[in-house]
Amino acid sequence: MSDENVILLSGVRKTFRDFWLRPTVDAVQGLDLAVRRGEVFGLLGPNGSGKSTTIKMILGLIDPTAGKVEMFGMSPKSLAARARLGYLPELSYLHPFLTARETLMYYAGLCGLDRKESRKRTGQLLAMVKLEDVADRSVGGFSKGMARRVALASALVGRPELLILDEPTSGLDPVSTKEVKTLVKALAKNGMTILMTSHLLADAEDVCDRVIILNHGKAVAEGDVATLGESLEEFFLAKVGNADEFVLADFLS
Amino acid sequence: MRRGRAIVFATAFELLCEPVFLLVLLAALALSVLAPAMHYHQFGEASRMARDAGISAMLVGGFAVCLLGPVKTFRRELETGTAQVALAHSVSRTSFFVCKALGCLLAYVIFTAAISLTTLTVVNGAEIGGAIAAARGGMARLWGPSFACAMSAIVLPLVFGAVLNRFLRFRFVLSANLLVLTFAFIGSIYRFDGHLAARLLPVLALASAPACAVLAASAAFSVRFRGNVATASSAVVAALLLPILGNYCLSDALAYGGILPTGYVLAAFVAFSPVVAAFVLAGVHFINVQDVQ
Repeated sequence: MSDENVILLSGVRKTFRDFWLRPTVDAVQGLDLAVRRGEVFGLLGPNGSGKSTTIKMILGLIDPTAGKVEMFGMSPKSLAARARLGYLPELSYLHPFLTARETLMYYAGLCGLDRKESRKRTGQLLAMVKLEDVADRSVGGFSKGMARRVALASALVGRPELLILDEPTSGLDPVSTKEVKTLVKALAKNGMTILMTSHLLADAEDVCDRVIILNHGKAVAEGDVATLGESLEEFFLAKVGNADEFVLADFLS
Repeated sequence: MRRGRAIVFATAFELLCEPVFLLVLLAALALSVLAPAMHYHQFGEASRMARDAGISAMLVGGFAVCLLGPVKTFRRELETGTAQVALAHSVSRTSFFVCKALGCLLAYVIFTAAISLTTLTVVNGAEIGGAIAAARGGMARLWGPSFACAMSAIVLPLVFGAVLNRFLRFRFVLSANLLVLTFAFIGSIYRFDGHLAARLLPVLALASAPACAVLAASAAFSVRFRGNVATASSAVVAALLLPILGNYCLSDALAYGGILPTGYVLAAFVAFSPVVAAFVLAGVHFINVQDVQ
């Protein structure tokens, strides 16, 4: 891990507005964040805490209302910066009419790979995610877990320097979840920088070097996983709310 | 270049896999076959009737393809989130929009080619009917053979598409669309009527000018309204353009017996290019200013 920042957010705010430009929600409020080269960084927080919005601002898909976002020292809208990036979205967004092989060939094309290289990389990745047998079936008919594996392979097809994983283990069974965690560790060992979000704190604890915890669009804690305490889950609950406050009595009576 | 090509072909591929595209194509083929078949029976003038029906089918169906293609593909990209993933790659929003529109244009060209070739197939059928009648020394009954030839161009792709799907797991809609084009091509090369083809091409080129405008308008509105209001808005635009099209294409082309001076075609493209450019610029603006999520 080096001190070079791959991703840098300073004072970032995002306010969504309706059709009449009235503010509807402050999704992110003054967020500062730095992801260093070669580390696995976890973006944690409850639903609606602003994790996905933060990731979309890093990807240049949405513009921050205020503050500055940099990726590899460049604007996230820079094509040169995005050429070094792989992205796995929260839901496996795939073209249902394409087969698994065609999907990977399409994304290889978007990464600018030539046909020969695309074929080679596609074959390798299909073998890695164990989808060789169904490579020529339309992904529209795939189960959630299979679609997730195609999406993961798509994110890796361009051999990115930075991998952004939004809930990478969502929809996967325990065996596949373990495989993804092993993959993330192996990629990080090879020097890839990884930014991931997860609701599963055990997953984050297993693979992340550092984490930041968001709540209501603000950072409530940040640090090395090893120094946050004995259990990341207890630390997380202490920071973002207590599950014991969940009111069941009225409903059950 | 590779990135743009990937988007163009994926978009055209998507539209060729779209059942609506196959339905519009088959409806247009049926129109181009049935309309002249009825007229042959009454008036004769095989080639002219076939050509007029082909042009009409191409116009109506072409507008439907230009309208629905961008709506379908942009709506799917923006609502299912695949646009997010594409734009997270080294692809600018401008090139994403332009390449997707070009993909729709490619699908329109395939549609137009299928109708044009089927028109030539119908004419070939009439030629066969004429040859049979001459051999027998009787009156030419052109509608039968031409009807049979052209209906084969519709039915055979569906049958072969179903067979390929059943035994080789090929995608039915995609196979049927490509087989329509293949069979129409095969049908058209028998006694290829170069003179008629030469007459058809300028008319088709002329009709493509307003079709491009409709396509660009539909793409721009689809990005702005995510395919919801786009259909209605684009339909209004198409309706506004149709009278111009009528003046430019049908009246002139048909009044001159299908012969069009090259100047007419060029003038049409010059007349429509500012409209196309304006809609493309609007689409580029819309995709660049909005959040993609």
